[in-house]
Amino acid sequence: MINSEQAIEKVMARLREIEAPLGMERRILTAVEERTAARTVAPPRWVWRAALAGTIVACSFIAITAIYRYGLLSTQTHYPAVSADSLSVKGPVISAQKTSLLPTESIAQTRTAAPIRIVRQISTANAVLLREMRAPSYPAPTAPLTNEEKLLLRAVHTGDPQVMALLNPEVRARQEAESEAEFLKFVDSSTEEVRE
Amino acid sequence: MASVTGGSLVLFSTERAQPEVDLASLVKTYSRLLFRVAYSVLRNRSEAEDVVQDLFVRVIERRQSLHAINDMRVWLIRIVWNLALDRRRRIRPEQLDESSEESLAANTMPADERMSEAHRMNAVLREMERLPKKERHVLLLSAIEELSTEEMAEVLGRSESAVRALLFRARTRLRKRLEG
Repeated sequence: MINSEQAIEKVMARLREIEAPLGMERRILTAVEERTAARTVAPPRWVWRAALAGTIVACSFIAITAIYRYGLLSTQTHYPAVSADSLSVKGPVISAQKTSLLPTESIAQTRTAAPIRIVRQISTANAVLLREMRAPSYPAPTAPLTNEEKLLLRAVHTGDPQVMALLNPEVRARQEAESEAEFLKFVDSSTEEVRE
Repeated sequence: MASVTGGSLVLFSTERAQPEVDLASLVKTYSRLLFRVAYSVLRNRSEAEDVVQDLFVRVIERRQSLHAINDMRVWLIRIVWNLALDRRRRIRPEQLDESSEESLAANTMPADERMSEAHRMNAVLREMERLPKKERHVLLLSAIEELSTEEMAEVLGRSESAVRALLFRARTRLRKRLEG
């Protein structure tokens, strides 16, 4: 027991008495100085973080812009944007393409005596836009009658034979001819009475 | 920021622009103690020196928070202890210094006595390695004479009574194994 205790104590004593290698302090200081110099040459960590954040923001901006443009282009296939100078034409201007796209309008304009001057060749996209802009606008179809309106119509149009007859154009024309003849007859008779 | 003034490396805080830590004095004061702590775990001189060097590099990296450390000594021991344990996990047993047992034996002895003592020490160290981890750690830290029970408890993150109990159990178990 004593031997084992002594052996343990000896090992513990040797562990606590172990000497550090010669020049360890100097080596440690040199290594730390080198590391510090390397760190001062290298940019601080916050610079890298700021650069990373800036890159992320720039990429996000580019991505958003690209998505926005892509979306705009997809809508522009139907309604393309037109620059101001392409629309600032003086006098009636019709392009060859436009003439081919809008035959009725071009014919109507060629019949007029006004001079037609082709300023420039309008691109296909602009021609489509102009066609869309100049196309006649159609009113919305009438809404179906409501129940109240249907009842009102039924009350007004009672199916009176005279009224129904007036709706017939032949009957209406004959009636008008008769009334005109009666009027003329009345006018003639009244003039004869005045002469007498 | 750091500057070498008169052979001493003084670390400056970037916020307060005042010298906070004189690294040279830290190295001079604690490097031997820290080397012993690392060596008790690693039993390899070059590895232990590497660990101590790594520790002071970390001190530089954390120089801005050094003023908040109450007990610099225990803090350094705790870091070097953890670094050494981490290093020990990564190195193979055969990388341990083969001649450590011989180096532990006293140089003043005759060759034959020195050989037998080295053999005994080798047996003790082998049995220490077989101890449960908690007991082995307490036993190794107790070898560092300068450490009180309170400081050992702080380094290991345990209560003082637990450290005392672990130390008692470690010595008893080791003694029984050596006798058996």
